[in-house]
Amino acid sequence: MVEKPERKLVGEQPHGAVNPEWEVFVRDDETTPLRHVGSVSAPSAEIAHEEATKLFAWYAVDVWLCPSEETRRYSTHSLDANAESMSIDSGEEKRTHEL
Amino acid sequence: MISISKLLCDLDAEGDGLRYDAATESSKSQITNEKQHRPVVVWNLTKQCNLYCSHCYAAADTEQAPGELTTTEGKRLLDDLAEYGVPVVLFSGGEPLVRDDLLELVSYAADLDIRPVLSTNGTLITPEKATELRDAGLAYAGISVDGLPERNDAFRGKEGAFDAAVRGIRACLKAGLKTGLRYTITEHNVDDLEGVVGLLHDEGVDRFCFYHLDYGGRGADIVDADLSPERKRAAVKRLCDLTRSYHDRGAEIETLLVGNYADAAYLVEYARRHLGETTADHVAEYLRRNGGDPAGERIADIDYQGNIHLTQFWQGYSLGNVRDRSFGAIWNDDSNPLLQRLRERSEHLTGRCARCQYQDICRGASRLRALAVNDDLFAPDPQCYLREEEVSPATTALDAD
Repeated sequence: MVEKPERKLVGEQPHGAVNPEWEVFVRDDETTPLRHVGSVSAPSAEIAHEEATKLFAWYAVDVWLCPSEETRRYSTHSLDANAESMSIDSGEEKRTHEL
Repeated sequence: MISISKLLCDLDAEGDGLRYDAATESSKSQITNEKQHRPVVVWNLTKQCNLYCSHCYAAADTEQAPGELTTTEGKRLLDDLAEYGVPVVLFSGGEPLVRDDLLELVSYAADLDIRPVLSTNGTLITPEKATELRDAGLAYAGISVDGLPERNDAFRGKEGAFDAAVRGIRACLKAGLKTGLRYTITEHNVDDLEGVVGLLHDEGVDRFCFYHLDYGGRGADIVDADLSPERKRAAVKRLCDLTRSYHDRGAEIETLLVGNYADAAYLVEYARRHLGETTADHVAEYLRRNGGDPAGERIADIDYQGNIHLTQFWQGYSLGNVRDRSFGAIWNDDSNPLLQRLRERSEHLTGRCARCQYQDICRGASRLRALAVNDDLFAPDPQCYLREEEVSPATTALDAD
């Protein structure tokens, strides 16, 4: 039996009150996929890169930064009170997993 | 958290099981009978505060931040933490009492068998509020006072803050709520340690937690106000002497140190000098069970917007957000290379930490301070105050030869 996970769009909440939050993605060598490793708080992408470098310089060949508030999160996790249910027509969604 | 009173004066406490895996040896009822496997979680309920303290790690402000977790989300978070087995939630801020759902959340946590405790500036605690907090199931209120009146008020940005905090302490004690002091030691208030303990002990307080300054939030802006390593050492010695002096007089106060695991090594050295080798060995054994600096392991922080941090002081980096993923999934995610290396930090520490004989009970102390000062996660903590002969006695002896 193949069932589709029921994901919701996590509400577009601010992710940083003092400075903007930046999602950090790193790659440990050129052949591996980018991996999400959390986020840093910084006023600009340049400073976010400096902060991420301090934490992951020993590890990453590539560091990608994405403004947290620009990232859309679709998740089966259900803590967010503002999450929107996503209705996807049966059979259209390719990404499925077996339960 | 290192208990001077437990280690040097053998005072039992509710945290013995949690802290030292010593529940069966303790005469006090225990928070947990097993050494903790899950972290104590600090939850910064809000960024809003009625004061503006110069050392605030959360950079709290008078305004509420956007996107704070709602009451509904907070309860879901507590469900999530209970399911993961979190033993204690420390409701913090900002000032948690500015949230009008604090009682509801405390009560909800208590019903889930999570021990709810509170970190507050105390200035908003009226007798009625103290009673309500007690009835909601609050297990402990830690109230911040950072010096005698004039210095405290300057530090906290408001005249009368000291008196208001003491009124809050009185209200809690009168309600029968276990209440203690939180005191961040800096150059500005180090001279007031004994005075504040004396004054609050006269009020009926018997638990005193002393925090070293960590370099997060506004704490990073006042690094110059931190004590030099030698003065820090002297301050810790004074607290050890003070604790023993109270106990010698029959006043069994509980005193604890937070935020610098060089204290663990120092307590062993102190015990050796003042109480003998056998006691020193006993102290070292307790501290081995304690496990050293807890960042990323025995302590976690969730901020008002749901971001998870390695400690409450380390607000500049987040492992993930509880709106996106469960706390347990984020905390257990060993694919995060930083988390993984931090948890095996003994293999990566450099400099004097790498050769320190006390590495097993300290584990490099604050990685945040190392990062803030040296831009290097595994460099020595700049606030380690151990002397070279204490760090590596064999090498020092060879050098002397």
